[in-house]
Parts: sequence; structure tokens; C-alpha cells
Amino acid sequence: MAAALAVIGFAGAAQWNSSLGREEFITSAQRVLVSRAEQLQRDQELMLGEIAEAETQLQSLQERDTGSRTEIQLLSERLLAARVAAGAEEVRGPGMIVEIADSLRPVPVGESQSNYIVLVDDLRDIVTALWGSGAEAISITGSLTEGAPSARLVSTTSIYGAGVAILVNGVALSPPYRIEAIGPEGIHDRFVTHPAYLARVIERVEAYQLQFAHEARDEVTIQGFVGNTRMQWGAAVEQP
Amino acid sequence: MTRRIAQLSLTVVALVVGVLLIGQLRSQAPAIELSGLSAQELSDLIETLSTGNAQLTDALTEVQQQVAEYDRLAVAGDSTVTLTREDVVRFSAFAGLQAVEGQGIVMEIEAQFQPTSVNDLIHELRSAGAEAIAIDDIRITATSVPVLGTGSIEIDGVSIGNALRVTAVGSPDGLKAALERPGGILSLLAQSIAATFSVETRDHVLVPATERDLTPQVAQPVE
Repeated sequence: MAAALAVIGFAGAAQWNSSLGREEFITSAQRVLVSRAEQLQRDQELMLGEIAEAETQLQSLQERDTGSRTEIQLLSERLLAARVAAGAEEVRGPGMIVEIADSLRPVPVGESQSNYIVLVDDLRDIVTALWGSGAEAISITGSLTEGAPSARLVSTTSIYGAGVAILVNGVALSPPYRIEAIGPEGIHDRFVTHPAYLARVIERVEAYQLQFAHEARDEVTIQGFVGNTRMQWGAAVEQP
Repeated sequence: MTRRIAQLSLTVVALVVGVLLIGQLRSQAPAIELSGLSAQELSDLIETLSTGNAQLTDALTEVQQQVAEYDRLAVAGDSTVTLTREDVVRFSAFAGLQAVEGQGIVMEIEAQFQPTSVNDLIHELRSAGAEAIAIDDIRITATSVPVLGTGSIEIDGVSIGNALRVTAVGSPDGLKAALERPGGILSLLAQSIAATFSVETRDHVLVPATERDLTPQVAQPVE
């Protein structure tokens, strides 16, 4: 009984303290905005799930066609190739992983806190260094929302900063960030020695002690992109 | 009697512990991260999420319509080959294997570029909703990155100069506004590398297909 009461006391105090903390720093206007952003994130997750489900259903319907077997076989191969090139298919192969997180060092008085956190430029530089090292598929994980899928990088992917939040494919992620890449042999060596982009990250890692690690992997699996692949403002030019 | 009271008390205590712990866990969840943002940052985030969600709503509607169309054809016993062919075109265009035409913008920009500044420009256009981008007729695919080649910046192995022509398919007004907003990418490039530029909205722009083979060498689709 005493132990249970002690746990209640701890949990109650912690709950009370964290509530006080939030009350202290969030204005009512901000609370409304936070609540709106959270709702939008929930909507986004829901829609991504529904799109993934509908795309799976679509793929199974495409395989069930009753037309000419040869034509369907050829078409299926072309569709798979196009989906792979677009990043819509889950892929597996040798590669590497990179992890980066905010510094654990206390921010010295007078210094900007933003020096000690992972910035959008860090992620952009790492990703660019990976593409430049021959990566064939990349994903970034680190969502603010529990259980959210990895963001597969595709032709329309932007890595964009909104304050401390970093948006990848429009999904808000938070550190630690895990970047997985599939690429040909030697990708890790090429990444480590990548001249321009990685140099900027390493400079910040050393100056502010951001947490940074990377290693080669024999096998990496990267999910397919889930999101909008349909164009609203343009259309494919018909090929002869 | 005393034992029953003790059991009841323990049940109540366990319940309270559970409720408090869940409350504590929830209070440590994502909201704390978001509450670290300023009102301006939250507004930006909301705007970006709203735009993204509107696009996802459209995408969901379209894919659901496509599923319904496949179902209809299957019930009627008709072939769905035409629909599948359309899907091949859709993914090819999205990947960059096929040229794309539509509304958008054309930007002429001149500066002493660094690879990072060209990269920032690409990310800005994508975040403003560009559906296809070309720089000097080089189609920007997922893997296209500006890197320092031998003496000049290269994208996909092709050198680019100090004067670039950027073509993007997307909302003409949306793209132009995002590029030209105060504190946006163009004003930053004007300050940092003395960029001079012009952005024109167009009813018709053409973004060519990539000349690269996008077939991966080691990444294999998972069965």
C-alpha cells in the first residue's frame, strides 16, 4: 500500500509539474494553434493510411485482369518498373544508416539554442551527400507522432523547416532522425568522404556536439512512398 | 470484512495510479514538441499541413475512384488494361521518366551559385507544391542533386552555369508567391549571393523527361 501511494505521489507530482510547465509557456492562442496542428497531423496520418490501403487494393485488382495474359504480364512489369523508379515500392538491398540528434550539451549563456539542435540544413546536407554517394532509395524516420511511417524520399519531397519541427513529405518529424539508404557497394565510404555537403554537418557536429553516427549495413529495407502521386497542375506528355 | 475493504482500496489505488500514469505519459507526448514552437512557426506548420492534407484528400478521392472503376470493369467482365496503362504513365511522370506539361512558372536567376543554394531552391519549389521541376532542361528527379564537379556545379553529371532557367509545373500563383515572399528563398539568395531574378507565371510550361536510367542496381522490390 505504501509503495502504491508513493507511485501515486510521484505520478501526481509529475503530472502537476508538467501541467504547470505548459501553463507557464503556452498562451491560449498558441494552445489553439497546437491543437489545430495536432488535429491536422491526425488527419494526415488517417489519410495516408487510407491511401496506402486503397493503393494495395488497386494493385490486387490490377493483377486480376481478365484480358490477354501476355499483355497483362508485360504491363505488370512496366508498372512495377515505373513504381520502383517513382519510389512507390518497398525495396531492399545493401546500404547504410545515419542517425543524428540534438546536442546533449547545455547551451552556454549568450549562445543561440538553435546551434545545438538538428536543423533542416543538416538533414538536407546528409540526404544530398547520400544521393551524391550513389543512394538509390532513402527514407527518414523521426516522427512527432507515435507509430508514423518513415518518409520515403521521392521526386516531390521537400525537407522543410518550421521552427524546431522539420517536415519531410509534409509530415512533421522530430529528433532523433534516422536516415536509411540503399546503395551500391562503397556507399558508406563515399558518404564519409563526400566533400561539400557532409563537411558542413561535421563542422556543426564538432562545434556543438550534435549526436551523429553512421554505419554500413548488409541489408536495409525501405518502405514505399505513401502520398500523392497524381498531378493537379500538369499531365504527362503523350509519348509516340 | 476488513479484507474486502483492503481489496477495494487496492483496486481504487491501482485505478488512480493507472489514470495518473496515462495522464503523465500523454502529457509527455508530441504536444510538448509542438508547444515549443512560436505562434508564427505554428501558423507556418498549420499552413503547410493544411496544403498537404488538401492534396492528400484529392489523392485519396482519385485512388478510391480508380478502385471503383476497376471494380466496375471487373463486374462487367471488361479488361482493365487501359486503366493500368494510365497508372504506368502516372508513375513514370511522377518519377521523371516522362515529360510533363501544364501550368507553372519559369524563373530566370543569375548568381555565383553554391551547390547548397541550388539545392535550397529545389526544396523551396517542392515545398510550394511543384509537381515537376527542370533546371536548364535537366529534369530534377528524387536522386538529382547539385554537386561540385570539376570547376562547376553539376546536376546528374551535367554542368550548370551562373545563369539558370528554372521551370516548374504547379500552381503558378502559389509557386511565385512562395519564391518571392519576404524572407523567402529569393530574398535570401539576393542577400547571400547577390542573385538577380525574374519569375513569370505561365499557362503552359514543359518539363522534359530525365535522360538518366532510373532503374536501381541494388535496391530490389520486396515481394
